[in-house]
This record gives sequence, C-alpha cells and structure tokens, in this order.
Amino acid sequence: MTEQTGNRLERRELLLRSVKAGVSIAAAGLVSAALYDSDGPGSGLDAESLVTFKDWAVTPEPGRTMSIVRGPDRRATVTKAIDLLGGIRRFVKQGQTVAIKPNVAFASPAMLGATANPELVAEVVKLCRDAGAKRVIVTDNPINEAASCFMLTGIRGAAELAGAKVVLPRQSHFRSTSLEGGRLIRSWPVYFEPFARADALIGIAPVKHHQRSGASMTMKNWYGLLGGPRNVFHQDINTIIAELSMMVKPSLVILDGTEVMMTNGPTGGSRADLRRADTMIASCDMVAADSFGCTLLGLKPADLPYLAAAARAGVGTTDYQSLKPASAVLS
Amino acid sequence: MASVPGRNKRLESLVSIVLLVMLLIVGLGVVMRQSDVDMTRFGIGLDVSGPPAEPEEPASPAVLDLDSFAPDGFKTVSAARTYGPENLYEKINGKAPLYTDSGFVSLSTQRFVSTADENLWIELFIYDMAALRNAFSVYSLQKRLDSQALSALQYAYSTSSGVYLVCGGYYVELIGSAESPGLLGAMKPIVDRLKMTLPDEEAGRIAELEFFPPENRVAGSEKLYLANAFGFEGLENTFVCRYETGGQEVTAFLGKGADPQASLAVAKGYCDFLIENDATPAEAAGETIRAASGRVFDFYGTTEIVFAVGPFFGGIHEAEDKRTAEQLAETLIIRLTEAAKESK
Repeated sequence: MTEQTGNRLERRELLLRSVKAGVSIAAAGLVSAALYDSDGPGSGLDAESLVTFKDWAVTPEPGRTMSIVRGPDRRATVTKAIDLLGGIRRFVKQGQTVAIKPNVAFASPAMLGATANPELVAEVVKLCRDAGAKRVIVTDNPINEAASCFMLTGIRGAAELAGAKVVLPRQSHFRSTSLEGGRLIRSWPVYFEPFARADALIGIAPVKHHQRSGASMTMKNWYGLLGGPRNVFHQDINTIIAELSMMVKPSLVILDGTEVMMTNGPTGGSRADLRRADTMIASCDMVAADSFGCTLLGLKPADLPYLAAAARAGVGTTDYQSLKPASAVLS
Repeated sequence: MASVPGRNKRLESLVSIVLLVMLLIVGLGVVMRQSDVDMTRFGIGLDVSGPPAEPEEPASPAVLDLDSFAPDGFKTVSAARTYGPENLYEKINGKAPLYTDSGFVSLSTQRFVSTADENLWIELFIYDMAALRNAFSVYSLQKRLDSQALSALQYAYSTSSGVYLVCGGYYVELIGSAESPGLLGAMKPIVDRLKMTLPDEEAGRIAELEFFPPENRVAGSEKLYLANAFGFEGLENTFVCRYETGGQEVTAFLGKGADPQASLAVAKGYCDFLIENDATPAEAAGETIRAASGRVFDFYGTTEIVFAVGPFFGGIHEAEDKRTAEQLAETLIIRLTEAAKESK
C-alpha cells in the first residue's frame, strides 16, 4: 500500500514539475523574443528616419550604354568615352548640381594607382562645368583620414582647380539607410547629405586587384559611402558589393584602366604593381563596366561572385558584349 | 501533498535557493556584458553613426621613435601612428587580412616630407609580425617581380619608388611619393638605421630556403605560405620557389612537419586533395621519387609531384614538362634526405 501511495504521489509531483518547467521555458522564450533585436547593432535610428538615395540613372539608349576607349591620355580617353555615350549633356544639364564620387580611399600618391587619378577627376569636373553644371562637388568617405587623402592623392588640388567644391565627410553628413531586400545594409549609416541635393552622380574608380574581393572597380567604389564600422562587411565582401550596387543608381560610372593595379591591391605600394592597359571605360551599367574591367586584371566575370549577384538583382549585365559597347582608339 | 519517503525538503530548498541565486548572478552578468559590448574585439569600432573614427593608438610592443628616422633634408609633419589588429583596416583596408592572418602585432607609420619640395615624401611602414617567418611570409607574398635586390639585408629589394625588407620579425616598407632617385637615396639611411634598431632574429636566415637546389632557381622567387598553399588548407608553412630550365617554368615546394609521420600525412592529404580535384595518377616516376613515397599526377595537362622525406614534405607544382618536374623533384629529394640525416 505504501509503495502504491508513493508512486501515485511521485506521478502527480512529476506532472506538476513538468508543467512548472514548461511554463518557465515558455516565459523565458517570450521574454527573449520580446528583447530580440533582429537588426543587430545598427545606428539605433527608427525606420521613419531612414533615407534612400535618389535614382540618378539616365534613360537607356540602345548602343549608348557602355564605351571603351583605348589610349594613353586619360583626359582624351574619358572625353571620347563620354562622347560615345551621347556626350556629357546626356548626364548633366544646365544649372544642375553634380556629385562626383572618385575612389579616394587612401592617403597615397596618385602614381601608385590606389586611388582615382587626379587628372581624370579634373577632366570630368571640367566636362560637367562646360555642360553648364551650376555646382560640382567631389567627395568621398575614405578609409584613411579624409583631408590627408584628398591632399596627398592630388585630387583636392586638381578638382578645385577645375572648378569643383571638395566636400570632406562630417558626422552630420551621415544618415541611416536600409536596402529593400538587402541582407547587410539594414539601418546602416551611409554618407548621404552631400548627395542629397545632387541632380547627377558620377562614380570614378581605377581598376585594381583587391586582396579580399578579387578586384576593386566601379561597384566597390561605393564602399566609400558606408559609414560606421564598415570593416565588418569585409567578412561578406561579395554580398556587400552587390548590395551597394543595388543601393546606388548613378548617372554614369567611369572605370580607369589606363594603369591597372595587377597585384598587392587595394593599396599597392609600388609602381611595379601597375601595368599599362591604356583603357578607359564609361558606362551607364556598372556591372557591365566591371565585367569588362576585370578582364584587364586577367580575370573572367565569373571569377567575381559579386558581379553575378548584382546581375541577378537586375543591376546590370555581366555579358557586356551584348550591349555592343561603342569603342575608339586614340593615339 | 504527502511527503515522499527519503526526501529532505530542507536540503532541497537550500539547493534550489543556491541554484536560483547562481542563475540570477549569471543573468545579471549577461545583462551587464550585453549593455557594454566591446565591438572592437570583433574588429568593429564603437562609432556606428559617422565616418570611421581616427585610429586609437594601441600600445605597441616595440616602441620606436619613428621621428628619429627622418633623413637629412626631411621633416615630419604629424605624429607617428600605430595600428593594432583591431584597426589595421583603417590604414590598409582590404589588405589587412594578409597581415592579421600572419601573426600581425602592430603597424607603426610615419611620413617624412622633403624640406625642399613638399610633394616629395617617404612613408615608413613598420609591421611588427612577431617572428621572422611571419615577416618573410608577408614580404614574399607581396614581392614585386620588377625589383632589385638590396645587399643591406638578407631579404630586401627596391623598386623605382620604394624599398621593402625584412628585419627580424618586422616587415618594413618605405614608399616614396614619386619615382625619384633622390627619394630612393634618402631611404638608404633609414634602412641603415632600421638595421641597427630592429632585432634581426636568427641573423635573418630561414633554414628551409637553403634546401631548394640552387641550379636554375629564379632569384628572389621564394615565397612562404603560412596556410592554404595552392588552395589546400593542409599545406601549412610551405615554402615555394620557381625554377626556369630549358624554357620551362617549374615550381618546387617544401615544408617541415613535426615528425616523419606528420609530413607523410601532409603529403597524403595533398594527394587526396589533388585527386578530389580531378588529378589523375600518372605513370610511376623514377626510383628516387618512389623511395620518398612520391606520387605523380597529371593535373589538367600539368604535372604535380608530391613526396615525403623524413620530417619534410615537398613536391613540384603545375609543371609544364613532366621530365623536368621529375628531375627537379629528384634533386630536391636528395637534398632533403641529406638534411634529414643531418638533423637526426
């Protein structure tokens, strides 16, 4: 009898304890779910304060999406490349404000090819001014200290001489954005204000080897728009480059393959890292531009996963030949 | 509720209270840690709202007075900077993993500007890589083909715009702002000073490099992969050297395991890796290679040879000509066999 009573009591107590444990687990789960921050450590701004970049893309014109010009003189090749797309007035109208985003990532001399070439930047500024742009700003959010980067690369001097205003990033220029359908760019601070009032956006980047992503060209150039602890994105470099290309829709990109950094990118560090390719690309399709650009590094578009990812997202095409690029050779 | 025979309710209550208190302490600890997350531990700065912050100055294990390296006719215009693994990317961005995966401790930089022409300057980068091999690895993997060896140090070269060298556990770059003989000349006293200042571990010599046969060796082509040589993660601490013979280019490699079994395991692992990647075993090579547990593969029209000798593993990578590859492999095996005997 005693044994039976003991068993009955143990079963009852077991059930009671099971219910208590279940309630405790459920309560802990509910509390965790309530406290869970799916966005992670972002800017802390709410959704209403998020900003979105304008769509600066121009109306497509068959046969005028991409151009490739061969020649040693950057000023001449970029002018010709833009002419082949219909001329600068297709992208810049009288009285407009133009934002130019060159790659000014490092405080290194222009001759090392780690940054956009100052002569090239100056020529694009001049073209914009000649087209009647009211204001041309040249800006970037470099890896190194911004003032040093613009000064030591020679871009500040060249751009200002050509009639541009160089804007250095300040805390107040950053706003938070989320990319629709994006996995990485979610409530993330971006360099926004200098572009907010621009009517046209032109990206300028050199063709460079990149230790992490394989190549740094026009799409990777938008990495400079990321604020905050952007180094975290190097862990998923292909996704972030693809998302940046989805986030920014420029009027025009210019890819400078006059001298190509074949090794030791993205910083380089010696003229020996460079090879002359004497090629300038202008394009309304940055995926196409980079797909061609990577061939100057001896790569195929398939070697760079971010190109396929951007193409899948509808940013552009890796089959640049299908665009029938306009071409020219200058002596 | 009736009591269960044998239960000690007081003891159970005490244990329960102790457990609850412990859980409470753990919970409080988690809350406190989460409210003060140090993202810099993950290579992430604290400022998430604006441009990247100015680099903080991590303590450098080797405090060098970089300003004192300024050559005659040059001056500094700002304070020297030091970067640690957590913020190296702020200086070199996407190239940071090359260093941080190779034992990187710190980077100290300073810029020396010509007093005669402010457009002429030299930037000094001193990477503390903790050990000679680490420093040699990053040096060798970035070595420019179009360069001139410098006699000042065992591993040093110059290009038209810079000087690059290994000094003990340090990898040093001197980068000029222009292709200027004057700038290169101004770098020489800096190199001399570095040689006197930085400890030159083991007199700058790496034993394994001596095992590569000297005939037809491409001078300065030696590289050290600390991991993932030829895309195989099992090939660690692997030295590679190029040869040119009869118009053919051949790459030899070698490394040293903890013991003969470890080297044999590395060689076998690499053979398996090749087979997984569609390499096909080729006709058995000469006796020397077979005696060294050697295997020969045809890999998309090139020849791969893998062997193990005592504590060493080695082989030939992507050779265009099988006979040339076998000859070099045999010479390498003979040298490694002698080295293995001497090391006993």
